[in-house]
Amino acid sequence: MLEVTGLTKRFRSRTGVVEAVRGVSFSVAAGEVLAFLGPNGAGKTTTIKMTAGLIRPDQGTVTIHGLDLCHRQSAAVQHIGAVLEGSRNLYWRLTVMENLLYWGAMRRIPYRQARLRAMDLLEQVGLTDRAKNTVQTLSRGMQQKVALCQALMHRPSVLLLDEPTLGLDFESSEGIKNMVRHLATDGTAILLTTHQLDVAEELSDRVAIIRGGQLILEDHTKAVLQQYSRSAYAIVTETPLPSSVLASMSDLPGQVNVISSQRLQYVPRDGDTETLYDLLGLLKPYPLLQVERHQADLAEVFQQVVNSEGEV
Amino acid sequence: MIGMLMAEWRRTVVETVRYPLETISSMATLFIVFAGLFYGATYITNSPIGGGRLTTVVVGYAVWMTMMAATGDLGWSIQNEAQNGTLEQVMMFPWPPVVIFLVRAFTAIVAFVLPMVAVLLGLLAMTHIHLQWHWAAVVPFAWALGTAWGLGLIVASIALLFKRIGQVLNIVQFAMLFLILAPIADFSAWGWRILSTIAPFTAQVTLLRDVLSQGKASLWLWMESGINFSLMILLGILLFIWATRVARSRGILGHY
Repeated sequence: MLEVTGLTKRFRSRTGVVEAVRGVSFSVAAGEVLAFLGPNGAGKTTTIKMTAGLIRPDQGTVTIHGLDLCHRQSAAVQHIGAVLEGSRNLYWRLTVMENLLYWGAMRRIPYRQARLRAMDLLEQVGLTDRAKNTVQTLSRGMQQKVALCQALMHRPSVLLLDEPTLGLDFESSEGIKNMVRHLATDGTAILLTTHQLDVAEELSDRVAIIRGGQLILEDHTKAVLQQYSRSAYAIVTETPLPSSVLASMSDLPGQVNVISSQRLQYVPRDGDTETLYDLLGLLKPYPLLQVERHQADLAEVFQQVVNSEGEV
Repeated sequence: MIGMLMAEWRRTVVETVRYPLETISSMATLFIVFAGLFYGATYITNSPIGGGRLTTVVVGYAVWMTMMAATGDLGWSIQNEAQNGTLEQVMMFPWPPVVIFLVRAFTAIVAFVLPMVAVLLGLLAMTHIHLQWHWAAVVPFAWALGTAWGLGLIVASIALLFKRIGQVLNIVQFAMLFLILAPIADFSAWGWRILSTIAPFTAQVTLLRDVLSQGKASLWLWMESGINFSLMILLGILLFIWATRVARSRGILGHY
């Protein structure tokens, strides 16, 4: 659905030429959410804007729905919707409905059809009763929902979301996330950039991390989390363990870290799946509260990947 | 295209109607200025005034106002969109940006001219003053408007690349005042003659003045005016397309 190949962008500044994006390639299939992550100044926004046709790349191509964005921009942008960070995305002096009708008409949707589409979208985001309110009177969360509706008026097959939940309260944030899930289920390819890594982890099917203008990781989110999860177990008991029991654990192969008298961390040797059961045997008959294998989250992965040594 | 035109028209009308104080203030200003022109001319000449002289003064002022609005609107539109954060969304429409902004300029000028004509007609009815009008004057007026849009696109190109255009517009407006009101075409020196041919507005305003006062103008003036208008609008369009390309290439469309 969205195919980005070898994108490169250099900007000239007073201090010289800055290579903001270097040979970035990725694709987003229909119904897929790709979380595009990176620290500030890594080249995320430049990449997303090149994908939207707002910045012309020095090299590389963006293909949307089989259409080359550079050569067939007018046709290609009909398949893109975007909610850009730092932009209002809407006319504040117009009402919600007037905005949606305007953006719809500018994307070649007939008036009546646009009206029906607008009403449907407002119902989906729970803003039907706000249709006649001017945008400037809405809360930040509501404005963001309307901006999302605006981007969806023409039923784009590719949706670009730049920090869609930034600065929103829990309820608004959940509303946006539900909408994104719903759109992905309906077959929209979604490119999501955000600094809220929990949001990225919740929503994404795949993750790409950019650093210094270069893509340094791209894989399925689950696979990435699996890869970065350590083979360590957290064990919590309901009652404190006697010191004799704690001492007996030191003979086991692997490493047992006693965090407290009720909390242990066990790191087995590579490939050893048996010793865990020996350890649990030593704990008998003390009641267990929790036995859990360590699971990395995206924040941990991000930190490790971005801070890792290596030529970029 | 019709859909886009209608959408822009609806947006313009809604914004005008939603904030009536702005509209009423601008109509009141027009009323005061036109009344000042009518009664001021009567007071200064100490005799009832009408016909050719007043027509020239009133039309000259109306043309200047319209041209100022037409020239400034394109630049302000870009600056405001960039400031409000909607420019990037507009640039993602499936229309060439130059077409979008020319359609906007058209709807904005219709919304500007309609109240002005209403005020003028109202005042003429109240004062029983008769202006000399020839329908042929519509052509030089339209050409002057096209010239203003050409100049406006040049200002808009500057706005796209540099965003803040307040000072540029000040200079442009004073230059326009000179080009529209000074009788450059009547100056005999060669330098002035050349300036009147290549500078925007002078040829169209001279043509408009001749058509209004005499009901006709020389073929040379019609040609000079038409060619001048065509070149100005073409220059504006080409420059705007170039500026859009440069802004995309530098990644400064969303900057303000």
